[in-house]
Amino acid sequence: MFKSWIELGLKKGFSDVEVYSTRNKSLSIELYEGKVESFTNSDVTTARIKGIYDGKMVAASVENLSTEAVELVFDRLIQNAKAVTVKEPAIIFEGSKSYPHVEENKFDFDTVPVEKKIAYLQALEKEVKKNKLVKQVEVSQYSESFGETTIVNSKGLNLTKRHNFAYALAYAIFEQDGDIKTGYDIKIIKSFDELDPVKEAEATIQEGLRKLGGKSLKTAQYDVVFSSKRFSDMLSVYSGLFSGEAAYRKTTALKDKKGEMIASPNVTIWDNSLHELSPFKNSFDDEGVAANPKKVVDAGRFTGFLHSLRTAALFNEEPTGNAFGGGIAPAGLYLEPGELSFDEVLAPIADGFYVTELVGLHAGVNTTSGDFSLQAGGVAIKDGKLDHAVKMVVLSGNWFNLLNNVERIGSDLQFQTSGYGSPTVYVGKLTVSGEEK
Amino acid sequence: MLSKSELQELLQLGLETGADFSEIFLEDTYTGNIRVNNGDVIGVGMGNVHGVGVRLLQGIDEVYGYSNDTSYESVKKLMLNLRGSFNGAANKALPLGEKKPYKYTVKIPHGALTPSEKSAKLVELSNLMKSQNEKIVQAGTTLIEWEQKVLIANSKGIYQDDVRTYTRVVMSAVAQDGPLMQDAYEAPGRNMGFEIFDEIDFKQLALEVAESVMTYLYADNMEPQEMPVVLHNGFGGVIFHEAVGHPLETSAVSKGLSPFAGKLGEKVASELVTAYDDGDEEGQWGRSTFDDEGNKTQKNLLIEKGILKGYLSDERNGKRMGYHSTGSGRRQNYKYAPTARMNTTYIDNGTDNWEDIIKDTKYGLFAKKLGGGTVNPATGEFNFAVNEGYMIEDGKITKPVRGAMLIGHGAEVIKLIDRVANNKTYGQGMCGAGSGSIPTDVGQPTIRVSKMLVGGQGGKRNV
Repeated sequence: MFKSWIELGLKKGFSDVEVYSTRNKSLSIELYEGKVESFTNSDVTTARIKGIYDGKMVAASVENLSTEAVELVFDRLIQNAKAVTVKEPAIIFEGSKSYPHVEENKFDFDTVPVEKKIAYLQALEKEVKKNKLVKQVEVSQYSESFGETTIVNSKGLNLTKRHNFAYALAYAIFEQDGDIKTGYDIKIIKSFDELDPVKEAEATIQEGLRKLGGKSLKTAQYDVVFSSKRFSDMLSVYSGLFSGEAAYRKTTALKDKKGEMIASPNVTIWDNSLHELSPFKNSFDDEGVAANPKKVVDAGRFTGFLHSLRTAALFNEEPTGNAFGGGIAPAGLYLEPGELSFDEVLAPIADGFYVTELVGLHAGVNTTSGDFSLQAGGVAIKDGKLDHAVKMVVLSGNWFNLLNNVERIGSDLQFQTSGYGSPTVYVGKLTVSGEEK
Repeated sequence: MLSKSELQELLQLGLETGADFSEIFLEDTYTGNIRVNNGDVIGVGMGNVHGVGVRLLQGIDEVYGYSNDTSYESVKKLMLNLRGSFNGAANKALPLGEKKPYKYTVKIPHGALTPSEKSAKLVELSNLMKSQNEKIVQAGTTLIEWEQKVLIANSKGIYQDDVRTYTRVVMSAVAQDGPLMQDAYEAPGRNMGFEIFDEIDFKQLALEVAESVMTYLYADNMEPQEMPVVLHNGFGGVIFHEAVGHPLETSAVSKGLSPFAGKLGEKVASELVTAYDDGDEEGQWGRSTFDDEGNKTQKNLLIEKGILKGYLSDERNGKRMGYHSTGSGRRQNYKYAPTARMNTTYIDNGTDNWEDIIKDTKYGLFAKKLGGGTVNPATGEFNFAVNEGYMIEDGKITKPVRGAMLIGHGAEVIKLIDRVANNKTYGQGMCGAGSGSIPTDVGQPTIRVSKMLVGGQGGKRNV
């Protein structure tokens, strides 16, 4: 079908055409109080048609895959190309010389009967509810996804990759003396046997219990340690700074800083989707460029931007395999782990804050200035050890200053379901706003 | 497109194994965007969202399926697959009724102008922002438009179509002076076509964005403290949206997960607070004639003089708690089952002049423009960012402060509202929750909260 679309596009006057398509099948089951409350099944194929017309690149994403609809899309794309006024490189790729081998997950979740999936959720809910501080389980959810991605173009490229994974979680409400907190734990699995209701319940309960009975902190500057999860979140929200597109548009503070020190020499940041711990391994990006593991920050020094075909041409550099979702994004960004244990990271801190909760990342982070101000929670650190729970404070700082203040890095690298990874990390002093002084 | 008789047949098929409700949601949506930067048209994008969502209910147990194949055979397969979840006696679907007319007030439809004609307006605004100051390094304008056509048919006899036309213009500027960098933006949207350019003074807004970015380039950081906060009109209403609106949705209330559960008729807010959610306010970003379950949208009273008067409900969550649908079942598209969501939510006008509220505040924060925020409906904890804030000292607005973040508990903060002005306006945003990301308006007149925790980095900027 896609080959005939390419021919149609070429006939209409496009010099090159590419179709990037994904087929996604998913199943999601939600339980409430032991009963199936919602059961969702899906099968959707989306195609992104890209074409070069009069030297200009235009694209459309379509879900109506009928020939008549696609014909109309090409006509509109011609109109769109006529409106574009910038002359920028427009490239449809013939392919990389070679691609790294990625072992595709062959487990078929369809072979597990639905009853077994429901029984797992029932067991998980029951295990979580065994803890007497669990007021209720708002929802327990199982979700699985199968995806197949194909890129076909008029330059002869024809690539396919597949993914297949599932996850399950229980979203629990905890209550103690009127204090209400929520907690859940999520882990990507590649085969159904990896699910263990006792272990997962334990992780969920730990997550909730450590938030209970929290107190505010007095407003002051504190020595701050980010948990692996929360530093991964920070890497994620600030990842746009490394984009070649942002560099070209002058919207990243890192423009013109290639080769300069932008972080403490302790900091090395990789972009590597092939890391053994990474949950989603990709052998190529959305333009068909082979995966390219690289250090973005090498011992504090910024090595260069992440590029698509277009921005690579604009900067006269090589594409880095980072064209994703119509823009530029990391393939698997993580902070390189150090050698310290969790206890050793905390040890020298007399009075500090271990951050395990950050809320409102979409609103409280300014990626242009690097400033952030976020609702936070976690645990107070006293004399090198975790002390009492901390809730409802605001953690404020600046990302660029923070990177320069990173001192002690744990050895406990973990990747999150977002694809970003980090170990536990001490980031120096930050302002915590809480109770009056 | 499926015919009425085919829909009738498919709805009946869904009820054969014990389901007591079946629904088919068909969608065909066109999307488009034009991106302009520093006077150049850098991209013109488009797409469509096209598919079908099928829902079966037995009591409140729900099975949902969706696909972008809308052929009769495909929907039939989906229906047969879904009904396999139930095991019971067959039910009977009511005959589909007649469609009611939807309001279509669009004056200049998206297709009436070519992309080149539309981009001319954006180029003008981009150039205007850029020319305001040489330190403005980027001036971007983006036109976002989409038109969603839906058809909803269900076994209760509802057979309803609706067309929702959305147009939004995002204006953003980035300023730089040595190591200092700052951005600012405005993003008004309406449920209308290209006539948005006749309704809104975009040139004025472009000048405001340029002024704001230059003011904040040199502003000091917020000193963290508890203090009175004056929240300005329009997008300031996001505080009510996050802190009160979400916890009033029956998606949360029906499971007892909201601080407002079981409190109808009780005093939950300051008596100065009267609040509504309106599903059908003309031209508003969050408006539609019918909701995504095919029910007529309406104006819903939520709080009257501090007393809790109502919740926002869809059919299913209403059923769970013995409450009626308020025409508030919404979903981003066919990939989501509907749930109770807000449309245009606002605190109603009070009697004060907003300038008097500032005058009567000895010391505090004037939060002129707010960014986004979040709330955890189970705990009531919320946060939201101040995009443009100034100190109030001795009843006067003084220096700008950057990076302020407000946090608190929704149920507590609405009791602390002690002044309400008479200058209600709206702000537009995309609200993300259980059934996806949907356009919503927030609104309010200028209000004062007697005490809030304001976080920030504190003092002079460290550059």
